Amino acid sequence: MTAETVQNLEALAAQSQTVMSVFIKAGYDAVAPAIIQPADVFLDVIGESLRARTYVFTDQDGAELCLRPDITVPTCRLHLERHADPTTIARYCYNGPAFRFQPQGATAAHPREFRQAGIERFGDEAREAAEAETVAIIIKAIEKIGFRDWTLKLGDIGLFSSVLDATGISPNWKTRLDDAFLRPLSFREALKGFAVGVRPPSANFPEELLSSLRRDDMDASEAAVAVYLEEEAIELIGTRSLTDITEHLIVIAEERNEPPLDARAAELIERYVGVSGPALTAGEKISTLIKEAPSGSGYALETYDRRLALLANAGIDLGRVSFSAEFGRTLAYYSGLVFEVNAASLGPKSPIAGGGRYDGLMRAAGSGADIPAVGAAIHSERLLAAMGGKAP
Amino acid sequence: MSKLTLAIPSKGRLMEQTTDMFARAGLVVRKVGHVRGYRGEIEGLPGVDVAYVSSSEIAAALKSGSVHLGITGEDLICENISDAGTRIRFLQKLGFGFADVVVAVPTCWIDVSTVAELEEIAIPFRRKHGRWPRVATKYINITRRFFGAKGFGDYRIIESAGATEGAPSSGMAELIVDITTTGETLRANGLKILDDGVILKSQANLFATNAAAWTPELEALCSELTGKLASSVRQTVISRI
Repeated sequence: MTAETVQNLEALAAQSQTVMSVFIKAGYDAVAPAIIQPADVFLDVIGESLRARTYVFTDQDGAELCLRPDITVPTCRLHLERHADPTTIARYCYNGPAFRFQPQGATAAHPREFRQAGIERFGDEAREAAEAETVAIIIKAIEKIGFRDWTLKLGDIGLFSSVLDATGISPNWKTRLDDAFLRPLSFREALKGFAVGVRPPSANFPEELLSSLRRDDMDASEAAVAVYLEEEAIELIGTRSLTDITEHLIVIAEERNEPPLDARAAELIERYVGVSGPALTAGEKISTLIKEAPSGSGYALETYDRRLALLANAGIDLGRVSFSAEFGRTLAYYSGLVFEVNAASLGPKSPIAGGGRYDGLMRAAGSGADIPAVGAAIHSERLLAAMGGKAP
Repeated sequence: MSKLTLAIPSKGRLMEQTTDMFARAGLVVRKVGHVRGYRGEIEGLPGVDVAYVSSSEIAAALKSGSVHLGITGEDLICENISDAGTRIRFLQKLGFGFADVVVAVPTCWIDVSTVAELEEIAIPFRRKHGRWPRVATKYINITRRFFGAKGFGDYRIIESAGATEGAPSSGMAELIVDITTTGETLRANGLKILDDGVILKSQANLFATNAAAWTPELEALCSELTGKLASSVRQTVISRI
């Protein structure tokens, strides 16, 4: 839904102005990153699935460009241009259009051209405090517009890792499950497969080489792989290094000898993935299952409880907050907290705002290392629709 | 009566093989007017108009219905016409222009021989290099459909207009999806085909398009032509045995 009438345009502009004033007052620098962006960063980070949702085109010089599908990545790029040291602490806010192809056809709730007003915060090591503040500012802006009937949904894909730690499974299983968690479609099946301990059969591995590799002696292992390649007259080409190949071979070798995933751990993991509901109740459920876990580390639980406490301190009514362990698994670049603000009138599939932590994104944009980053954006047209089309 | 339009490749090996195959069916295809022109006719089938079209554009001509029939590779039809199943009729396999569309990775990836293992290395690769593995190809749609059906999405397509086999060694991409006949070019470039990486076994086909205007007369003429080509293809197969 673009502004089809002057009234609509004016209402959107007035709303954005109010939202931006909340952001600026909270200490965020107003910026306006370019609408046309290099396609690389988006496609490299988010994968081929996003290309299907992004307007990608080639310009007269052959450069692959896109209409920005969000404003977060452009803000990362802007930060890197401004600061030679990417770890510089900075806070930005923006308001402007973003574009997404809608495979089911563009509708009012899922337009191909829409406006986002948002905030991004980089370099702040006090992660949980920064996250709580981000949520609080977004809620404050929404309330300033006059919308009070919101609910907040939380997720945290980092929490899954902590739960895995508590189950005391081996590092190989942990990596496998962490990776599998990001693929909800095949996760249950993977979990079942892991419980039998089967590594999918794939005939042609060099058996002798596999059995000679040792994780605790990478140098010797790499040398063994190099000798094997030389003997077989295979040239090492491409971007994957000898180390990359050796590391994967070691995982393969170890997984073959790995006892099946402990049934108790598999059960705990399944229970955790099923946790969903009011945030306080969900916390109790997680607490119970962590206490039952073999190496019952409380780290996951501490994080969860501390986050709720910080949100409550920031003035968020916890009665309106829900948590789902699965939420955030399919969302592109998030690495920790994810959240969504919903309006009952628009339904759960059209959140009026959303955001989270994405520490790995800046590296993809070219920083060379992970940088603490948390941000969120308001979907301007949806907020206006939730307000019945009236600006404040 | 309007004519039946047949698009055939305008140059190269595919044009020669097409002309030979027609000759074996007792049909002489020749150009009309200037020798460098792009119109032709078939001796003995006066109702057929031949259009010489570059083989990559034959798919587009079939898609839009500007011709009734076309001779081109199955790979190009699958790549360029997303609804080929309903829009295009596969009339006759022609027994030449064989090419497999395959997923090929560096031979030195001794740890990867299936799509499942390719999927396994995608996340560690991203962890290390900050991006997904890149797939160089000119078969963007075929690649997306193939990996999509296997639930694999953690890669990035790099469009490649030519010399795709060189992309992994030059660092332009990690792997490729491309056509191969003998596998020789792949081997020469240090690449191997994944065990489950043969996406399509393609050959030249006679295609008809539902997008063109058809009359009973044109359908009859089309059947006559298809019948003659079919018997020619059968004879070739027998003589090869």
